[in-house]
Amino acid sequence: MSGKRIGVFVCHCGNNIAGTVDVAQVASVMAAEDGVVCTSDHAYMCSDPGQNAVIAAIKENALDGVVVSCCSPNLHERTFRENAKAAGLNAFDCEIANIREQCAWVHRDPGEATEKAIRISRVAVRRLGRNRALDAIAIGVTRRVLVVGAGIAGIQASLDLAAAGLEVVLVERQATIGGRMMGLSETFPTLDCSQCVLSPRMVEVARHPRITLMVSSEVEKVSGYVGNFQVRIRRQAAYVDPDLCKLCDDCAQVCPVVAPNEYELGLSARRAIFMPYPQAIPATYTLDAASCLGLNPVVCGKCRDVCEAGAIAYDRKPETVVEQVGAVVVATGFDLYGQQQLGEYGLGAIEDVLDGLQFERLCSASGPTKGKILRPSDHRAPKDVVFIQCVGSRDPARHCAWCSKICCMYTAKHAKLFKHQVPDGRAYVFYIDIRSGGKGYEEFVQGVMEEDEVMYLRGRVSRVYQDGDKVRVFGTDTLSGQNVEIAADLVVLALAMQPSAGTAAIAKTLKISRDKDGFLAEAHPKLRPVESVTAGVFLAGTAQGPKDIPETVAQASAAAAKAIGLLSQPQLSHAPTVAAVRSRLCTGCRMCVDTCPYDAIRLVNGKAVVTDVLCEGCGSCVTSCLRAAIQVKNSTPLQMKEMIEAVLRV
Amino acid sequence: MIDPEELRTRARDLLEGGQVRAVIGYRRGTRGWAAEPVVITRSEEAQDLVWDPSCVHNLALYLVQDRRRRGVLRGPPDRPIGILAKGCDARAIVVLMQENYVQRDEVYIIGLSCESSGMLDERKLAGAAEGIDPQDLEAVDFEGDAFVLSSRHQQWRLPAAGVMAERCLECRNPCPKVHDTLLGKEPREQERRGQALTPAMSDPFAELQRFEQTADSVEARWDFWSRQFDRCIRCFACRSVCPMCYCEECMVDSISFVVTPDTTAQEKANRLRWIERSASRSDNIGYHLTRALHLAGRCIDCGECERVCPVRIPLRLLNTKMERESRERFGYEPGASVEVAALLSSFRDDDPNDFIR
Repeated sequence: MSGKRIGVFVCHCGNNIAGTVDVAQVASVMAAEDGVVCTSDHAYMCSDPGQNAVIAAIKENALDGVVVSCCSPNLHERTFRENAKAAGLNAFDCEIANIREQCAWVHRDPGEATEKAIRISRVAVRRLGRNRALDAIAIGVTRRVLVVGAGIAGIQASLDLAAAGLEVVLVERQATIGGRMMGLSETFPTLDCSQCVLSPRMVEVARHPRITLMVSSEVEKVSGYVGNFQVRIRRQAAYVDPDLCKLCDDCAQVCPVVAPNEYELGLSARRAIFMPYPQAIPATYTLDAASCLGLNPVVCGKCRDVCEAGAIAYDRKPETVVEQVGAVVVATGFDLYGQQQLGEYGLGAIEDVLDGLQFERLCSASGPTKGKILRPSDHRAPKDVVFIQCVGSRDPARHCAWCSKICCMYTAKHAKLFKHQVPDGRAYVFYIDIRSGGKGYEEFVQGVMEEDEVMYLRGRVSRVYQDGDKVRVFGTDTLSGQNVEIAADLVVLALAMQPSAGTAAIAKTLKISRDKDGFLAEAHPKLRPVESVTAGVFLAGTAQGPKDIPETVAQASAAAAKAIGLLSQPQLSHAPTVAAVRSRLCTGCRMCVDTCPYDAIRLVNGKAVVTDVLCEGCGSCVTSCLRAAIQVKNSTPLQMKEMIEAVLRV
Repeated sequence: MIDPEELRTRARDLLEGGQVRAVIGYRRGTRGWAAEPVVITRSEEAQDLVWDPSCVHNLALYLVQDRRRRGVLRGPPDRPIGILAKGCDARAIVVLMQENYVQRDEVYIIGLSCESSGMLDERKLAGAAEGIDPQDLEAVDFEGDAFVLSSRHQQWRLPAAGVMAERCLECRNPCPKVHDTLLGKEPREQERRGQALTPAMSDPFAELQRFEQTADSVEARWDFWSRQFDRCIRCFACRSVCPMCYCEECMVDSISFVVTPDTTAQEKANRLRWIERSASRSDNIGYHLTRALHLAGRCIDCGECERVCPVRIPLRLLNTKMERESRERFGYEPGASVEVAALLSSFRDDDPNDFIR
């Protein structure tokens, strides 16, 4: 035995634990354990009197350690370790026995649950017996933040971070910032112009002295740890020098290439050298190497020849930049759910079936039709437009199980905009039910139904097909029980939102997890909604889950606030429960080096060496080491063995 | 088939030329026909080297012992050590190199191709032919698809497949891939497969499949393995003969706890005994299963553990089970390449993860 004087404190957690577990019995049985010198139980151990009781007991009984049998260590380990420190002990002189989540909540039989609670508490006593006093490892902080993705979320986070005095590196994959919001027309429920409210923020980003903007760039590699990340960013070759470009459009005039314009979602064409939007930031032309005839003056050098400013050069190379940052905000946004999976709605096969974002471009004053709603096939104004909601969403059997949250609202807005332009037109909306929770949202939808006389049909569409110059839509109105057949001029699908294509890759690069649907996973769904599970990496916007613009902006500011809070500390502390090598036993097989997900281990003179600040104490190396030459502090094999024996009563 | 004289000449040249400091090989043992491992350091000893179907031992074990001894001498080797290596031995050497235990430039590998033959399983001799007594045999030799066994008075020519070791019948690759010099030929594919000589060679897990067909339920397998492990006398011959069991401190066996000048009193007091020394079923199972897991992705199926087991526990079944698992699920072949990361320390995005719920 360890010879430590240990106290055991059992929490009732109101009825959460005491409802199933006989806490008094746990306390009395634990009193007879080897090394345990005092026990008690309390209604709420985490309350102020409860905590004071722990501190007082440590002092009165000259305890060397305490075990608190209560809820998950995720919740109160820190609380009670602080108590231990307040009473003059080391933080690791306190261990938590989780008898709530892992016992009281999952069992019904009081007798069995009490027995299990006793064993769990006994295990914690045994573990504590061999804990060594450890002090947190202090690490310095780099007061800069990387923001990945420059849509509205990334822009908002960057501006908030910069306003707090931090330096920001804002990385955007596309040639301009602005993201999805830049492609929208008017925004619900106030119908203010999306570009008009966004472009001032974009200009602010471009002009801000503390924001370094990197467009056409991608994060390649992230190493390091909270407070001190090294980020490798790859920037595509800038064939047009933004400082020299005078936006005269001469280059686009002479360019012989015609390619679909991705910023207009294929509704119009562009040249190989073009400007994504008039409001593009950085304000410059962009040369798309993929559609250019080959960046070769022998084949075609027209744009370079015509450029009076001399801004164009074909021999520029991609470059790699390494930035030091202390925190990361990920705001990589959304894509629409794969169109190829939705053949039954004719998307991609029928010209006059559009997705919601394409319809936004048709409504936008800066769009391909200058804001006139014209259908793509014959450029006529449509008279009958069918809007279909929940395309891909809420369909766990075949598509996405989740609700994409914004489709009810934007479909109502689409119908309204259409009716404003074509007052004698007819708009039909197929819906499952209307979800319009939000300030002014329900009133907006009611207005669309009542004032704009949009026909809402509750039911799903079974078939969409081309019939002459019409698109015929078969569906059911489940309220009247009738089958509906509409000969539409235009069909607009509210496709599900899914995480953007780059989200999986950036999650892997940053070692943050994604949920089952591929959205970035928050550390706690309620209490840590903008933090990832990796310390120092924060989440903002639709990459984390479907949400509208106000929510995105709020979340971006929240992520910025979290990063500011983190980086305002003079020093960060790193958990001291890191791996340590017993180098006598190490044969230098490198297995732990390959296993470590944090690149925390390297070989020095044929022996493994752990870099403490990189180690997260996950124990992967321990399991890979055949020689038992590496172990995590305070989770040693000896402790594990004694804990197993304690739980089995060997 | 390899002419043993060619092998002797090669070893003699290497030692005479000073290219290697020693050669690990086989010589005629004290038990008549059976070969035994030997380390020769002088060129005149090269004439003792033999190559016949009794060269069953995995010589990689002696490479491990060489490194251990050098560890004590604390001197880096001035010259490489030569080693004869069959296909299986060479795979073991590859794993040792993969694990950084042996460096490539520290070994000179004289590859020996078993071509389309293999090694003799002495246990299969009993009753293999009228009048054979392994004690009386004086020599055993390759002859095409047969082994020729000679005693003082008599000679037998037995089809090799009938008396060949199981692991040779299931051989993954009878010709070393990694070597500095190679004797013998790479067997042609049609020789390895389908021909009468080694019909099972095309199926590396034949014995495992046979076992799984007979013991086709959890209960049947538990009965089988309980019987096997009950017999274990914990002599640790399997561990001693395994070139992969080179840990200084074996977790299943506290008697091997290494005490060095820097071992602290606390380490001594707290040394772990996961498994008791007594040979009980539970502790035996603990030992063998731990060993099987520690060999996952490392065992190259030389079959030595099973060969040396005095109570005949079919240990290959455990190890080939792990091997088949790693091959089918992760496409991993132990001993195939020095460059790839070890099975249990590598992670790929497309690794099967259907066991995670």
